[in-house]
Amino acid sequence: MTRQLVVTWIVLLAAVTAAWGLAAAMLPLPDYYLPPPTAVLAALGDLVAKGILPDYVAESVRRIVLAAVLGLVVGVPLGLILGMSRRVADFFYPLLNFFQSVSGVAWLPLMLVWFGFGERTILMAVNYTVLFPVIFNALLGVRSVPRLYVNALRTLGASPWRVARDVLVPGALPSIATGMRLGLAYGWRALIAAEMLVGANGLGFMIFNAQNFHLTARIMLGMGIIGVLWVALDYFLLRPLEEATVARWGLVQR
Amino acid sequence: MTALGRVLRGAVPFAVLVAAWAAVTGAGLVSALFLPTPSAVAWSLWELARDGSLWMNIAASLGRVLLGLVAGVPLAVGLGVLVALNRRLAPLVEPVVGFFNALSGIAWLPLAMTWFGLGWTSVTFIMFNTIFFLVFFNTLVGVRTVPRIFEQAVRTMGGSRRHVILQVLLPGALPSIVTGIRMSIGFGWRALIAAEMIATSTGLGFLIFNAANFPQSDTILVGIITIGVLWLLTDRLVLQPIERRTIERWGLVSTAP
Amino acid sequence: MRVLRHRTVLFLLTVAVVWGGWELFLGATAPRRIEPELARALTREPRVNVAVTLGFAPEEFHIRLFQSYGVVSGVKGSTVLLDRVPAGDVGRIARYYWVRRIALRP
Repeated sequence: MTRQLVVTWIVLLAAVTAAWGLAAAMLPLPDYYLPPPTAVLAALGDLVAKGILPDYVAESVRRIVLAAVLGLVVGVPLGLILGMSRRVADFFYPLLNFFQSVSGVAWLPLMLVWFGFGERTILMAVNYTVLFPVIFNALLGVRSVPRLYVNALRTLGASPWRVARDVLVPGALPSIATGMRLGLAYGWRALIAAEMLVGANGLGFMIFNAQNFHLTARIMLGMGIIGVLWVALDYFLLRPLEEATVARWGLVQR
Repeated sequence: MTALGRVLRGAVPFAVLVAAWAAVTGAGLVSALFLPTPSAVAWSLWELARDGSLWMNIAASLGRVLLGLVAGVPLAVGLGVLVALNRRLAPLVEPVVGFFNALSGIAWLPLAMTWFGLGWTSVTFIMFNTIFFLVFFNTLVGVRTVPRIFEQAVRTMGGSRRHVILQVLLPGALPSIVTGIRMSIGFGWRALIAAEMIATSTGLGFLIFNAANFPQSDTILVGIITIGVLWLLTDRLVLQPIERRTIERWGLVSTAP
Repeated sequence: MRVLRHRTVLFLLTVAVVWGGWELFLGATAPRRIEPELARALTREPRVNVAVTLGFAPEEFHIRLFQSYGVVSGVKGSTVLLDRVPAGDVGRIARYYWVRRIALRP
């Protein structure tokens, strides 16, 4: 970013903050409708000093990381295996498509019946939400590798294992990265929703609970952090992963 | 293969799934409370359809989607084009909108509840919000990636600013806009269901969450299946064809991912 | 070596260093929060009754947290009275940076 852009940015930020503060002071609304920016900063200081914010952030991050790991370790191999055979892939494609359309949050009521309120329910809902796009995209990735490459290796006498390792898996990698990115996008949002409905900690719980007490500054703070965390996750981990796989193995067209 | 043939072939995995489901519940491996039999769910579906509550809830949810679309898309496209035209403002606004995009959906619910209380306003706001920011972002990016040469071509032929917007920028950005609409309905539908569980007493989300109180697992499953089927139908029969046709027609311009 | 400058690697390294450093800091400052009388009692008894003083009035979050360590028998201003805390858990409570002091109660 050029220096001029940064300066303009800072000016714009200051202007927006000032406008916000002014609106908060002048609008004839109850205090809790629009807290001024100072209140949000005060809430940040308060919640950090009390140890609440770091704990809640850690809880939410822990849950999404668990879901990501599960998606990677279980979802990717499963999707790859299902994609290897044309008939198996054709069979599972509609099922995966359907189950992917139903977010984990929609399954929460049933999971509440099964497991009650608690950590397990939240994790199940979030893991489900992350898993299906990952499996689906891994399957699609394998199916999208042109037969040409597979046949080429076969004519050179490669075993199915070599074909899988050297052609199918690398060819599916861009799709897998996209699947992870999509799954975690859905999953992060499902996590916030699940924490609102079922949780006793985490960022979703924090903003939902704050609403009960009209602590609007905390709500806005929580929202900001939810956005920042996702942007950080996407910018530092997910998008580089997707770009790297496309750059390296993106010969395969989808 | 005919369209009917394709539909039948697509139905086979589900038939197998239902058969497996019937086998598991029939064999008594799982209690009826945990997983009702397919026939119990079918019966529940029939009951809910007959007394109208299913249709009412579907209408409530879909109505909110439509409301969000009608309010969100024109505003988002309008603002997107306006901001994109201003070459100084656009690079600044883009990351801000991108951030709000990342934030959109259910995270706004507590704030919406503070402002609007419980009820359909808050819930529709979530839908509107999700659609607005994503479509705004995609419009902004779409318009900015239209190669300048097209705009210059129209200008050299004496076109006014209006011509540039209507005949170059909007069509050029259309693939991006339509993709944005499609994606935002996808995200929004999910956020809507979650919001209906928390903040209102109509809609499919409420239907299934409420049923957990009794607990009526068969109603929950009816709701879940309806949610999935509605999305699949909307996406495959309405949204994907529109997207495909838009890209076919105006897809000369590369779209944002 | 160029890979080390990539933003993902830098990000993960930063997270690891900050997190690790923070945990070390917590571990180092924890013993200071335990009153000497309490420290002695920890070696003798399996369970103790304590008064945990915070820098602020405790919220629901803190009460719930303490309930996982013992029985909350009362709150006086910014002090939480906690009963029957296992001796090992006192150290864990001391690790919270927002705890000011933990004292023994007779």
